[in-house]
Amino acid sequence: MTVTIRRLEECDEVKSFDCGDEALNNYLRLHAWTNQQKISIGVTYVALDESAPRLVLGYFTLATSSVPRDKLPRKYVRGLPAYDLPLILLARLAVDKRFVNRGLGHALISEAFKITLHVADEVGCRCMITDAYPEKAGWYARYGFIPLEVTDETSPRKMFLDVRTLRRASAAESSA
Amino acid sequence: MPAKIKPRSASLPGATAKTPAPRKAKFQADLAQSEDGMVRVLKAQLQLTSNADFLSDALALFRWAVTERKRGRRIFSESLSGERNILIFPRLERVAPDVTLPRIDIRWTGKELESLAMLVSEQPAEPTETLIRAMRQ
Repeated sequence: MTVTIRRLEECDEVKSFDCGDEALNNYLRLHAWTNQQKISIGVTYVALDESAPRLVLGYFTLATSSVPRDKLPRKYVRGLPAYDLPLILLARLAVDKRFVNRGLGHALISEAFKITLHVADEVGCRCMITDAYPEKAGWYARYGFIPLEVTDETSPRKMFLDVRTLRRASAAESSA
Repeated sequence: MPAKIKPRSASLPGATAKTPAPRKAKFQADLAQSEDGMVRVLKAQLQLTSNADFLSDALALFRWAVTERKRGRRIFSESLSGERNILIFPRLERVAPDVTLPRIDIRWTGKELESLAMLVSEQPAEPTETLIRAMRQ
């Protein structure tokens, strides 16, 4: 299986995508293209096998956001620059259940990291945020994501990854 | 008796309604001596005999580079030791997307904002092995 990852295109086969989570399935089937091309609130990247180059095996969606400086607690604001805090939101990441345990999730999040670093280099961003299901929090933690708040066992939790950590990982990879 | 007027083409002996063959575009360029020399060297290295083949290959390569930059991808060469050199070509950069990601608002709780502010104020965490492996992917 030779996987390529690229931006979602209109003709991609998304109807048969099934990751076992209806919200994630429906997002890809019904909203991803519109959100990307028409109302521009998120860009979706899809994983495809070269032997079936339209069939989506997995995807993730990225968007940018920022936290207004005046929303941050005062005791930390003094150490921060006088600007809003720009960030990348990893809004969704899912793999079709027929293709799990083949490293697709790892390939997808690797691409998301590289895009984040690219955006950080080109226009600046300070961190990456994701909303992880509680049962997936451990998977994100392996990449260094830190939960911002642990509330209950059922709600998604926001997790944080510093862009400087990503840069160090990239430098460590280059020097290896 | 009124005079009959023949269509002009019909008056030509042997005239038929053939579709004209598509015209090939000519490409002519004034090259400096050094550039001309470069073309000759490259043609020799690539074992190309005609300028048309040379232009065709160069066009294919340029087209690929434009497509990659349009997608926001970078073009680089990698040495055996893994050292990378990124191609920065001003004309190519003009086709690259400036910002590829749209913007959305996030709802935050007070606790999340406090943790976020604390984390960005501190020294960054060291990357995990899994993260380093992901960057190698």
